[in-house]
Amino acid sequence: MPNFTEETISVAGGNLQVYKGGSGDPLLVLHGAGGNAGPRRYAQALAEKFTVYLPSHPGYGKSDRPGWVETMQDLACFYTWYQEQEGLENVRAIGFSMGGWLAAEMLSMTGHAFSKVMLVGAAGVKPNDGEITDIFIISPAQVRDLVYHDPSQVPEWDELFGTDPTPEQAQQAEADREMAIRLTWRPYMHNPRLPAKLGRVNVPTHILWGENDNLVPVECAGLYQQAIAGSQVTVISNCGHSPQIEKPDDFVQAALAFL
Amino acid sequence: MDVFYFTEMPYAEFPESEAEKFPSMRLTFPNTYFDPDTASGLMNRYLDEYQYAEEMGFDGLMINEHHNTPSCMDVEVNITGGILARITNRAKILMLGNMLPTSDNPVRLAEEIALLDVISGGRIISGFVRGIGIESWANNTNPIHNRERFEECHDLVVKTWTTPGPFRWEGNHYHYRAVNPWMLPVQKPHPPVWVPGTGSPETVEWTARHRYTYAAFLTPLEVAKNLFARYREYAASDGWEPGPEKFAFMICAHVNDTDEKAQESGKAFLWRMNYPLRGPREYWSPPGYTSRAGAAAVAARRPTPLHEMTYQELQDRYHLVVGSPDTVIKKLRHIRDELGIGSLLLEAQGGQLSHADTMRSIELFGKEVIPALKD
Amino acid sequence: MFLMRFTERAYVNYTEEDVRNSPNEAVRLTFSNSNFNPEEGHYLYNMYLDEYEYSEEVGFDGLMLNEHHNTPTCLGATMNLEAAILARNTKKPKIVLLGNPLPIFDNPIRLAEELAEIDMISGGRLVSGFVRGTGVESLATNTNPLHNRARFEEAHDLVIKTWTTPGPFRWEGDHYHFRVVNPFQTPLQKPHPPVWIPGTGSPETLVWCAERNYPYIFLETDPQGTQDMKSIYTEAAREHGYEPGPENFGYLVRIHVQDTDEKAYDVGKGYMVGNIGVGRIPLPRDYASPVGYGSRSDDPRFLRLREQIRSDPFRVGGLDSAHYDEILDSKRWIIGSPDTVISQLREVLSYMRPGILAVWTNDGSISHEDTMRCLELMGQEVLPALREIGEELELTDPFQKEGVMPGLTTV
Repeated sequence: MPNFTEETISVAGGNLQVYKGGSGDPLLVLHGAGGNAGPRRYAQALAEKFTVYLPSHPGYGKSDRPGWVETMQDLACFYTWYQEQEGLENVRAIGFSMGGWLAAEMLSMTGHAFSKVMLVGAAGVKPNDGEITDIFIISPAQVRDLVYHDPSQVPEWDELFGTDPTPEQAQQAEADREMAIRLTWRPYMHNPRLPAKLGRVNVPTHILWGENDNLVPVECAGLYQQAIAGSQVTVISNCGHSPQIEKPDDFVQAALAFL
Repeated sequence: MDVFYFTEMPYAEFPESEAEKFPSMRLTFPNTYFDPDTASGLMNRYLDEYQYAEEMGFDGLMINEHHNTPSCMDVEVNITGGILARITNRAKILMLGNMLPTSDNPVRLAEEIALLDVISGGRIISGFVRGIGIESWANNTNPIHNRERFEECHDLVVKTWTTPGPFRWEGNHYHYRAVNPWMLPVQKPHPPVWVPGTGSPETVEWTARHRYTYAAFLTPLEVAKNLFARYREYAASDGWEPGPEKFAFMICAHVNDTDEKAQESGKAFLWRMNYPLRGPREYWSPPGYTSRAGAAAVAARRPTPLHEMTYQELQDRYHLVVGSPDTVIKKLRHIRDELGIGSLLLEAQGGQLSHADTMRSIELFGKEVIPALKD
Repeated sequence: MFLMRFTERAYVNYTEEDVRNSPNEAVRLTFSNSNFNPEEGHYLYNMYLDEYEYSEEVGFDGLMLNEHHNTPTCLGATMNLEAAILARNTKKPKIVLLGNPLPIFDNPIRLAEELAEIDMISGGRLVSGFVRGTGVESLATNTNPLHNRARFEEAHDLVIKTWTTPGPFRWEGDHYHFRVVNPFQTPLQKPHPPVWIPGTGSPETLVWCAERNYPYIFLETDPQGTQDMKSIYTEAAREHGYEPGPENFGYLVRIHVQDTDEKAYDVGKGYMVGNIGVGRIPLPRDYASPVGYGSRSDDPRFLRLREQIRSDPFRVGGLDSAHYDEILDSKRWIIGSPDTVISQLREVLSYMRPGILAVWTNDGSISHEDTMRCLELMGQEVLPALREIGEELELTDPFQKEGVMPGLTTV
């Protein structure tokens, strides 16, 4: 199994925590609103083929928040800065949930962010019929219940949720949630102007969704597809908002096929 | 000591067990439970009671505002403040208060309060609050910015009152290029500012640094004492000594002819101590709303929530004072002497307390209790 | 016919020189509030409230208020607070707000709550008008004028929905975002308080009103041009399947009455420093209508109408350079003894045919005593006569209309 290391680098005046592992071409992985769960099984599998970079967003985990990072557009600016500094432009990338939104914002800003990109259960686009579930008005336990379609099929359940969090972990989860609130409160989890700006995207884009996503409605997959010319959609059946955790094998298979 | 009359203007006209069907009686409790005809009568009843409270000798009338809740029908403290400014003649009008962080337009807020001060001839006490988490939801204001917006909004309101316009304001949360409202307060340099608190250490410090009056809200006496002591420490470190006028205390209070009668009618207050105070943490304190230090301070005290206390416990711990005039006088004197406060804020109508019981209570407060507290 | 009383609640305790010495010689927006004396304000506000309360006594059907910002010409910068006071202190008349400037509100839910509270306190007497606000309102609140109409429409839709749709619901629009719309208080009037829209004839607004069956109140517009404006409304109404009548139109006019024509003539001069301010110095164009505020529609009908509005010598918001006698000769202001006023109004009403008459009884430097006498004479002589004329001319008002009352959005 590839060995992941944790490193801290200085970007834009603050420390950025990055998990890095594997070998091969770089693959940038952008985590969702819930925070950086580290190199889970799916990341280990991807690291067999790629050098996986899994940073904690500013304000998350051990990463500092430069004071100017207030919005998703600020965060996208931060990451293009990071890419330039680390020579990680034009690389492959995967964005999960809010991280998918982040990837889409970066795509809308520059043509040389990514060579190929996967958006997984991505927030950022307002559904026409449904609503993006409000994850701040319910408890973290309720959110978790909504994320997974069938907890019994989550192979890492015990590792992830088997024990009560330590006080430090609880503090970290609270801080992560605060950062999510800072970034996505209003307009909630979307940018009304994003779909129009995605018209510039001309890199291969794969949109992946869990069929039973209870947070970001599946219809958003279609909206992303409409916005990004030539993009393709895969829907994983019998799966919730986080295919990479709930069905890692199916997810990795789809990811490797595309990337 | 000044004594203020207060009601949250509750709407208690549905079976309270209905609240069980929803996460809380606030925020998402459907407004289909609201009947405007009934409410119209209630609002005017509460205003009648305020007028009577002035007549019977209360020094001040206190009003507040909340959103999305039957526990407080006043959604715009300046609306009722305006009415009281016009229909009363003598009493101070204590607005405790305007929610600064949820205000998107502090200049308008400054204008509104100035107008009330102008209409009332300088009787406004302008309280500023952060608002509970529910207000952040109802107004969709990012809770992470709550304290920043509180402070910036405050600074802008005070500057609007005290600096001749036009001037420009370009801050983090508010931006204006021509601040110049044609409405300024009568009181100079500006109406007194009060700030309520239930324990947040930052609020005590901020209030002391600004030399504003700090009002402890429904806290145990010990907690209020500690908060006031902290205030005095900050003041001392700034080289000044606060008098009693810098300290206020708010509790529920009910008086009736005899202890027995009062114990019976006072049960009406249990409504406001129950469902309106329950609800998920995410409603009351969304992530980012409270600082880690503030949360830790509250957690360390591990207070029993009011809604878990019995009628007797509420009285034993001085959250609710109930009795005949003599009993109530004794208890309120105790509070006054323990805390060294300049103002006592009495929620004398609460929950389901009827008009008749409210009027009788106001009358007894005016005739017997308030004079006895002035000695 | 619905008769409502109006004044802008002017503050005139400053001089022309004060205005000349202020930035851009403007009496609004940047005319320093250091010229405002709150003690004088205390006297004035209570005086104006006394006059409104007396207006109920003399028999007006409605008390009309308006709102402007950063200006001595109208002290109603926070009109809803005055409305709340009148809601509590009067019993019968409608409280007609013309209106809340929607685009400058960042929180329409709060506005919906305020208005609901006023409606409740008044026992269901609120008429809730909405306006776009002049350019000064945009500048005073730093609201981008480019979004003025878009925000007007979105805020309107959100307020109406808040009043009529059980909460909680979510609103994610272009300008407003709320995830828990659920104010516990909703208005007493069902489905919602009537909505009337005042204006000077912006064609887009006329069409928008006609589509919603909202009465349109013409603010001192020129009678000839008003006929064209009404035809735009009427055409749009027909396209929506109804025939508008007098109940769909209102007219605001300055009407001042005293015991004799001579006395009225002298007192009426006080209007000259009303909404234009002491010194009568025209407002800079970029204050009144900043870039982006106005419409750029190239519909030829609209263009003609806009030209017509612009060329009106006695245009609202100004009547700036006209001489008093010219204005009186034009019958745009109606000033005189009861008999004179009644006969001139008969002419105006026959031609304009409004179901709603907004009577602007006093402004500028007209004294409290003269105002009270004017109101008294209104009650004794003018209002009864107007009611007769109204019946004779069949000037139905919205409250007399059978069927769907104009002012209500069908929901």
